[in-house]
Amino acid sequence: MTAILARRPVREATELAKTTPGVLSGLLLALVVVGLLAGLFTALGVQSRAQALNDLANRSGPLTAASQEIYRSLSDADATATGAFLSGGLEPAQVRQRYEADIAQAGNALAIAVAAREPADVTAPGSPLATLSEQLPVYTGLIETARATNRQGLPLGAAYQREASNLMRTQLLPAAQTLYRSENDQLSADQDRAGGVPWLEILLALVVLALLGAAQVYLRRHTNRVFNTGLLVATGAAVVSLLWVLVATLNAMGDVGDSRTDGSAQADTLARAHIATLNARADETLTLVARGAGQTYQDDYVKLSQSLGALLDNARTAATDSAVGDRVAAAITDSKTWSDAHVGIRGADDSGDYTTAVRLAVEQVPQGAAPAFDKLDADLRDAIDRTRATFGEKVSDASGALSGTVAAVIVLAVVMAAGSAAGIWRRLKDYR
Amino acid sequence: MRTPIALALAAAALVLAGCTSVGTTAIPTVPAQVPLPGGAAPATASSGAAAPDCGDVEASLRPPNPLPAPGQMPAGSTMAKILQRGKLIVGVDQNTLNMGFRDPFTSQIQGFDIDMARTVAQAIFGTPDAIQLRALTSDQRIPALQNGDVDIVVRTMTITCDRLQQVNFSTVYYDAQQRILVKKNSAITGADQLAGKRVCATKGSTSLNTVLTLPSKPAGIGVTDWTDCLVMLQQGQVDAVSTDDVILAGMAAQDRYTEVVGASLADEPYGMAIPKQNEDFVRFVNGVLERVRTNGTWTASYQRWLGGLLPGATPAPPAPRYRD
Repeated sequence: MTAILARRPVREATELAKTTPGVLSGLLLALVVVGLLAGLFTALGVQSRAQALNDLANRSGPLTAASQEIYRSLSDADATATGAFLSGGLEPAQVRQRYEADIAQAGNALAIAVAAREPADVTAPGSPLATLSEQLPVYTGLIETARATNRQGLPLGAAYQREASNLMRTQLLPAAQTLYRSENDQLSADQDRAGGVPWLEILLALVVLALLGAAQVYLRRHTNRVFNTGLLVATGAAVVSLLWVLVATLNAMGDVGDSRTDGSAQADTLARAHIATLNARADETLTLVARGAGQTYQDDYVKLSQSLGALLDNARTAATDSAVGDRVAAAITDSKTWSDAHVGIRGADDSGDYTTAVRLAVEQVPQGAAPAFDKLDADLRDAIDRTRATFGEKVSDASGALSGTVAAVIVLAVVMAAGSAAGIWRRLKDYR
Repeated sequence: MRTPIALALAAAALVLAGCTSVGTTAIPTVPAQVPLPGGAAPATASSGAAAPDCGDVEASLRPPNPLPAPGQMPAGSTMAKILQRGKLIVGVDQNTLNMGFRDPFTSQIQGFDIDMARTVAQAIFGTPDAIQLRALTSDQRIPALQNGDVDIVVRTMTITCDRLQQVNFSTVYYDAQQRILVKKNSAITGADQLAGKRVCATKGSTSLNTVLTLPSKPAGIGVTDWTDCLVMLQQGQVDAVSTDDVILAGMAAQDRYTEVVGASLADEPYGMAIPKQNEDFVRFVNGVLERVRTNGTWTASYQRWLGGLLPGATPAPPAPRYRD
């Protein structure tokens, strides 16, 4: 029963397709359906690119900055706390304030990073966020014990300070580094997503244009008219849509590329240089805190200052903004001054003049390490802020380049479908 | 009448569905985070072959008579080189209260060991201040001597047969006893109660080996610095610290909830360590120590630094023994 019923319409449709009106009806249907679908998928493609840009601006961008901030503020806390410890009970007020600000900053950035994740991410075994949340309070407890003991003048204080620093170096900083790496990878993936070549959109537009071309060739051969206004309008709409998507997307791709080369890639190099600086500073002061047991810290300092030099050179070559370039050049000079000061500190300490070594390390004296370190720190902070701002601008430019494209693609797809339908419909009426 | 009920049921179902889809993440129970001093690790007994027999380890080289006067050292001697340099370089401790420690208020390293080292500088230069103190950890002492980084090490260093293979020692300038430090409420009164307990000592110290070979077989924890042991005791990560009574007394002075208990586990005679080849300097230092024992310097220094820390009356300085 059903087989017979199904067979008749099929046979009728096959016979109809051999006639000109049949072909015209088929073309009309194909143009409307393909045109609207192509419009829909192109709009979705552009929308997904816009979503990637939105993620860059509101998720991976800020989260990368937050994780960078966790890493930086923890490193700074370590360096500052050991510096304050060396000053003993008479630690300068601004050094203590800097440590307190670092802890507040690390806690806050950690809360932001945790809030952006699902609870399961935090409870996963080995999650850096879990390590950071669990160990940060332990660290601050040890620092305060060291401080209280040191204020009583007991040698025990140094042991607590070393234990705190050991916790920072073996647990907190590696976790902060892992977190930063994963957020940075996400940022990079979002940039890839936002900056990819729009192959799908181009392919869809070419299919639509090919179909329109075929329809016009067929009409010219089977009717007396050379041009069909409806199909011409439809072709125009399809071409405009393709050009619009191409121009908007290419602009956005360019901006995303800039957000990487002028922004995030430089910020990454600079952030790593900044963290190397802070960790080297912590090594320098810890060598003195360790009082004789500090060779491992000094070895670490040497390693870090070498990698700092390489990172700063990379940052200098990569710098695209002259202001950033100037900052990095200043940072290179500062790091050399600091190196010289460090040689002075080691010389004093190794020759048994501990008091001079401490003075050179923590006090604001002309030959000391503290002024050079502070300048280097400020230069790098400034350069990082600038590259982060550039990143934000470029991502916002890319979003701007795409704005209105989705609406335009949809409107043009409707125009294309309506034009095709109207154009073919007029010819189809001739057969009535 | 039926429609509102159906609607209410549907609404309730939605609410319930909403409830079950949220908040199902189990909150895991996480272990407490216990920080460790850098380098702290369980220690195992060094199963070294039976210690070589050096006879009487406390016997040192006999001093010259008379001792050269300050500023007039025999030509070509080790002391003459030191005199020419202008400073005696001494490896010391700066974390052990009242033996060698840095006064945080004056930044000066001081203590009983430092007083002893200054008497040597006094004998060479005529002033105790011609001295450069270099802080060393326990396991840096012998390498520093072998590399010639320091002239002499005066740092709670026990004379042992093993060490005598690598460096020379002066006569005994202090006779310490290895004992144990515990919290006052620990109910541990001696080494026999250490079975199954965790006992802390520094790596490379004689104390660690003594602990590991105790019949009660405690678990040994090795650390970098003696004060790390006190940190771990305060944090409840070890049950006892075992080393020389004088070091333990310095810890007890920093935490008065701890006490030194039990009988002596081992005799720990302290000597000043000198590079193996500088025998002339060993003899000279022994001459200085002879004088320090008899002229009241030793007793005065003991009373200043250790009298308040260690119980009992001021002992007599340890008598020297010589092997010529």
